[in-house]
Amino acid sequence: MKKYGLYPGCVMPTEQYALEKSIREVLQLLDIELVDLKGFSCCGEPLKSVNQMMTITLSARNLAIAEKEGLDLIVPCPMCHLALSDCKRILDTDPSMNQKVNKFLEDEGLKYTGKSNVFHTVEILHNVVGIEKIKEKVKKSLKELKVATHYGCHLFRPSEVGRPVDSENPQEIENILKAIGANPMDYPEKLDCCGGLLNANLPESALTKTGQKLQKVQEQGFDVFIDVCPWCHRQYDTKQKKAGETVAAKLEMPVMYLTQLLGLSFGISEEKIGLDLNLSPVDKLKLGGK
Amino acid sequence: MSITDLTSMGEPQTEIRKEINDRLCKLQDEISDYCYQCGKCTSGCEAHKLLELEPHKIVALLKRGLIDEMVNSDVIWTCMSCFKCRERCPQKIAPVEVLFALKNMAVASGKQIPGNYTALLQSVLSIGLLQDIKSVTTRDNKTKNRSDIGLPDISKPTDSTKFQMMISKIAIEKV
Repeated sequence: MKKYGLYPGCVMPTEQYALEKSIREVLQLLDIELVDLKGFSCCGEPLKSVNQMMTITLSARNLAIAEKEGLDLIVPCPMCHLALSDCKRILDTDPSMNQKVNKFLEDEGLKYTGKSNVFHTVEILHNVVGIEKIKEKVKKSLKELKVATHYGCHLFRPSEVGRPVDSENPQEIENILKAIGANPMDYPEKLDCCGGLLNANLPESALTKTGQKLQKVQEQGFDVFIDVCPWCHRQYDTKQKKAGETVAAKLEMPVMYLTQLLGLSFGISEEKIGLDLNLSPVDKLKLGGK
Repeated sequence: MSITDLTSMGEPQTEIRKEINDRLCKLQDEISDYCYQCGKCTSGCEAHKLLELEPHKIVALLKRGLIDEMVNSDVIWTCMSCFKCRERCPQKIAPVEVLFALKNMAVASGKQIPGNYTALLQSVLSIGLLQDIKSVTTRDNKTKNRSDIGLPDISKPTDSTKFQMMISKIAIEKV
C-alpha cells in the first residue's frame, strides 16, 4: 500500500464534501493510503491578485508540513496543485527567494527544503494506480455513457510550471473513463474556463462563463459532465441552476466528480461517494448501460 | 490585527510600491524586446468576450510605461487566471503575470480591494482558510455537515497566533 499525505486546501474540506468523500473511498479501494496531517492552511493561490509573496509563503508552509512527516502529497484541487508546484519550482531555483520565504516560516518552526513532491488525483489514478488495476476493480461497466470531461485550467496550464497533463490535448481522464467502460468524447469547449475565480469580485460574470459552457455541453447531447476541481464543480453542479438563469437557459446537466463515477463503477454505495450532495440532476442518469 | 492594518489601505506602502514597480519595469524591458502584438493572447482570452479584457493591449500599455493608468483601472480585475495567454504566447510573454503584478500594485498603493477579496484575506488571517466549514444541502433538502458525512476533523493552523504573525509580516514587509 502506497502512502501519501492528503492536502485538502480550502474549498474541498469546507463545502465540497463529495469530492473528499469519494477520493477517500476510491483511493482506499485502489490500495492508496491517505494520511491526514494537522496544521495545513490555504495554498495562497486565490490571493495571488492581492499579494504574490503571501501565495508563495503559504504554499511553502504547507509543503514544509508534509516534509516534516516525510510524505509526498496528493492534492485534489488543481489550483492548490498549481500553487504548490509553482512554489517548488521557484524556491528550488531561486536561492534568495528560498531564504526570504524560509525566514517567514521560522516562527512556526517550519523549514522548506524541497523534499516532498506533489501529485494530483488524476496523476495518481492514471500513472501510479494504472489503467489495468482500475479495469480489474470494475463491477459495473458504464457502457455507452457519453461523457464530457472538464479538467480545470490549473491542471494543464501553464505547462512551463510542469503540469500533470498536456496543455492542449489532455487525455488522462478520458483513459480512466474508458477503463470503466464509459465513452468520453472531445468537444470544442473542453479546455474552456468555468469562470470560478471571478466569484471574488464579479460573481455574475463567473456564472455566465459557467452557464455558457454547460449550455454548449448540453446541446451536444452528453449524458454526464465530469470534473475534478472543487471550484469548477461548485460552478457546474452546486450553482448550475443560477448559471442557467444567468444565460437564460434551462440547464439539466448531470455533473459528477470523476471519483464519484469511478466509485459507482467499483460498486461503492451512492452514500459513500456523497452522491446525495450533487445538486445537478444526477438521478436521470441511467447507469449500468443498455 | 485588522485587515486595514494588513493591507495598509489608508497609507500607501511606498516600499512595496517601489519593489513591484521595479518588477514591472523589468517586465517592461523584457516585453519591449519580444512582444510584436500578434494578439494571440486576446484571441483566446476567457475574459475578452465577456468583459473586454485585451491582454495584448495590457502589454502594449506596459511597453509605453502607462503603469499608473492600468493600476487605477478596473479592467485588470477581470482576468480569470486561466493562463491561456501565458500558455499560447509565441514569444513566451505572460500577460496574466503582468496582470497579477498590476493588481498587487493596486493593493499596495492603498486602492480599495474589489469585491470579496478583503473577506477572503480576513478569513485566511483568522482561521488559515478561505472560508469556514459550511453546512450543505442535499438534493432532497437535508442539511449535512462534515461529520454527518463521516469526514475527519478539518486541517487548519494549530497555533493561530504564530500563523497570524507570519501573515502580518508578509503584508508589512517587502513584497
